Amino acid sequence: MTFQELILALERFWAERGCLIVQPYNSEVGAGTFNPHTFLRAIGPEPWNVAYVEPSRRPTDGRYGENPNRLQQFHQYQVILKPSPLDIQDLYLESLRALGTDPSHHDIRFIEDDWESPTLGAWGLGWQVWLDGLEISQFTYFQQCGGIDCKPISGELTYGLERIAMYLQDVDDVYELQWAPGIRYGDIYKRAEWEWSTYNFEQADVELQKNLFEEYEKQVAVLLGLSDKKGKGGALQFDREPLERLALPAYDAVIKCSHYFNVLDARGAISVTERQRYIGRVRLIARAVAESWYAQREALGFPLLDTAAAAQ
Amino acid sequence: MSSEFLLEIGTEELPASFVTHALRSMKASAVELVGQARLGTDSLEVHTMGTPRRLALRLRGLAASQPDRDETVMGPPWSAAFETDGSPKKAATGFSKKHGVAVGDLRKQATDKGDYVSVQVHEAGKATDAVLTEILPELCRRITFPKSMRWGPGEIAFGRPIHWIVSLLGSEVVGFEFAGVQAGRSTRGHRFLAPKSFDLDHASNYEEALEQAHVIVDLTRRKDRMMDGLLASAKSLDGVLEPDAFLADECVSLVEEPFTVPGSFDESFLELPDTVVVSVMRDHQRYFAVRASKGGALLPSYLNVVNTAQDPETIAKGNDRVLRARLADARFFVEEDRKAPLADRLQKLESVVFQSKLGTMGAKVRRLQANARALAQGSGTDADACVEAARLCKADLETLIVFEFPELQGEMGRWYALREGIDSAIADAIRDHYRPQGADDVVPDQVVGAVVAVADRIDTLVGCFGIGLVPSGSADPFALRRAALGIIRIALEGPIDVDLQQLIDEAYAAYSGDAELAPADEVRASLGDFFRGRIRAMLKDAHGGDVVDACLGAWDGTSLRDLRSRIEAVSELGAAPEFEALAVAFKRAFNITKESARGVVDPALLEAGAERALAERFGTVRDQIREATDERRYADALKLVAKELGAPIDRFFEEVFVMVDDARIRENRLRLLREIADTVNGIAHFHQLGTKLQRRDPSISA
Repeated sequence: MTFQELILALERFWAERGCLIVQPYNSEVGAGTFNPHTFLRAIGPEPWNVAYVEPSRRPTDGRYGENPNRLQQFHQYQVILKPSPLDIQDLYLESLRALGTDPSHHDIRFIEDDWESPTLGAWGLGWQVWLDGLEISQFTYFQQCGGIDCKPISGELTYGLERIAMYLQDVDDVYELQWAPGIRYGDIYKRAEWEWSTYNFEQADVELQKNLFEEYEKQVAVLLGLSDKKGKGGALQFDREPLERLALPAYDAVIKCSHYFNVLDARGAISVTERQRYIGRVRLIARAVAESWYAQREALGFPLLDTAAAAQ
Repeated sequence: MSSEFLLEIGTEELPASFVTHALRSMKASAVELVGQARLGTDSLEVHTMGTPRRLALRLRGLAASQPDRDETVMGPPWSAAFETDGSPKKAATGFSKKHGVAVGDLRKQATDKGDYVSVQVHEAGKATDAVLTEILPELCRRITFPKSMRWGPGEIAFGRPIHWIVSLLGSEVVGFEFAGVQAGRSTRGHRFLAPKSFDLDHASNYEEALEQAHVIVDLTRRKDRMMDGLLASAKSLDGVLEPDAFLADECVSLVEEPFTVPGSFDESFLELPDTVVVSVMRDHQRYFAVRASKGGALLPSYLNVVNTAQDPETIAKGNDRVLRARLADARFFVEEDRKAPLADRLQKLESVVFQSKLGTMGAKVRRLQANARALAQGSGTDADACVEAARLCKADLETLIVFEFPELQGEMGRWYALREGIDSAIADAIRDHYRPQGADDVVPDQVVGAVVAVADRIDTLVGCFGIGLVPSGSADPFALRRAALGIIRIALEGPIDVDLQQLIDEAYAAYSGDAELAPADEVRASLGDFFRGRIRAMLKDAHGGDVVDACLGAWDGTSLRDLRSRIEAVSELGAAPEFEALAVAFKRAFNITKESARGVVDPALLEAGAERALAERFGTVRDQIREATDERRYADALKLVAKELGAPIDRFFEEVFVMVDDARIRENRLRLLREIADTVNGIAHFHQLGTKLQRRDPSISA
């Protein structure tokens, strides 16, 4: 099974089970969770079932294309099922069958792996899924997102596509994967890994990244009308009514801040104490967006609740 | 004869630590709720079982039904219930109706607040199943987990989502609902080997039926099975299993039916240090290592406990591949690390924070060198080796392999040092300076390691006390108690003595220029008290708190071994039968003289008899006692005291009245006693001893 056949098999599988098939987000994200189709839609009471590929950037994991397993950009296949159905594990195992892997002939294990994104103010409980000792997926029940308690709970399945493909194709080097007949993963990405590793570790302009972080951080406050003052118990205050706020452009700015922080981190430009402060700053604006998004959906009467009711 | 009751809660895969935690709370709640519901009997057995996918409770010896209960129920005040003529008001008719009795059955009961209406109620016991139906939802609610989660609609929190509940009393379902799941008799077997749900006909068939369905629900039995498999597989490889209790507990909690699948890796990876190979296998993959039966060398094999083994070859192949990548990573780290000598990492330690107010690890390492030099000179060892070991002891924190496997700190530093040709005493010290890690760990057995270990701990202690980071209650984030205990144990069990006072002063001086610490006097005092507290906590069980206190009182706060000699001497003497009288006598001597002035005894003023006898005896042995004390031969000193002074001082207190009216005689007498008390107090403060010393038994210590 080629890399692209793997993607197609997952798209088909989840489309047949009622997921919207959407596209990767057009900004630099560290994981599929950052895509607004997950981060924002996991908030609030509206149901949401979606699946998509997410090219995910982890600047610190870059190895100049020299390590057979580590990449600064890899591909996740992300599935969100909200509310999480009781048969979510069975659905997941069925999806492995769709990839030609019969779980009963392998050793499949659900190993505790709680997930937390300090920058997104999000956390959940769940597992990493092992296939014969290889971590191929992460499985998370979101408990909180943007500092807001989730209700209902979203179930998130994240497939590590490179790892699964290496397993299916029986290769030890990611660059040897067949993306499509005649085209290897390395043909597409090896040079990119070297360039981005060089950029992230050596050449990224530290001042530029710092300035971009600051500017985008300010944008969030402007676009949401976020006040400097806090209310009781540290509650965020907004000078704009929910539907006057531009939550989506503000969220893009959050994604940018998170990305520039990651680049600065890889570049070794952030000290230990600064690191915590940066994370806290991103978490604050992520929370401001999450609260604004919720307020907007509420102001709109949570429209997808009606759609779901009508569908039943 | 009552029936067996079974409760099984079927869940998604619970983390290893959750199962034991949940079962403990389940058992405690079951005992409590069954007792409250009057279903307990003398033969009640409460047994819990669990796997990653189920928590089970078995009750045997439940009462066949709830016993009847007679109870007095209080009602409204009598005056509110009855007219003065005795005719009932509304309150009386209402109350009698509520309890199903006639108004005539109501009784008057006198209380502190006046007369009240009461009624004798007879409550017929309910059938056991009816009671269970009521208490089971509460039992489920009371199950606790290290962390709980919500799922689906998000209404209920539990360790993991619940899928089914079995609730059987004998062969009958005891119905109830929890988390939206209706209890019944349908259970499920192994997720992959027996995935279909099936009905249990009787509670007592539970374990057997599940075993048929590839689930060994009893944790102990499952572990025995797993260990048998591991040992047999190791043997078939001509090897022995590398024991790992933590890993065994973890693995048994990850499977419902354990199988062992052996795998292998390329022999060239054995060039890595054993600890690295074992750590990679254990930490990343939860594999057991195997050593050759002969010689004990690590074999290029591993044992993997799996949940499903329909196709062991496929499973081994997959796992081999993962391990190969992991070991290749580790080899890469080690090769990279070896490209530069350990000492090159010192520069990097300059930018690693030790503690925000105490500066960097680089500064700490410089202080360690100063501390090590002082300690080495104090104990007459090779100072240069100690200083060099102190310089290098933290360098491996900046290696790639320790970044990946923090638990290999010290071990890897030693390994790299040996390969650089660094002297083995120094290399060993890099590893050993982390010892003892806990109460069960050994202390460094070589001088250099012991010196660096003490130097490191005292630096942390002085620094933290200097900025007010003092442990309180259970909060001890810098493990300062363990650090102090480490120093005490090294001095008492290891190759070097420690002069605590000098140690604290040197470590304080080493901070000069690195950090703003509280004044030296304060740090010395608070840290001194802290050490005394630790010493007391450590030794009181073996010797008795009063013995430790008595010796701490006489101790000058310097040599820890000196303190130990005192404690041992007092303990030893305390075991002798004549000690009680001796202790009482010296306590008396101390108490009577503590306010009086010291001075030279005038022999002319001594009364013939007991007083003169005591003075003469003391005069002949005083210098011997003091000499033995000065030479720290406390056992000898105490033997002299007991042998030479015991009888005379007893006689003295029996025959001589101290507080006579004649001031000159009284003063002289007090001077004599004062001098004796001072001499004995130089060894230990007898007045701090309990008087039941000779019955001292570690099991009944204070």
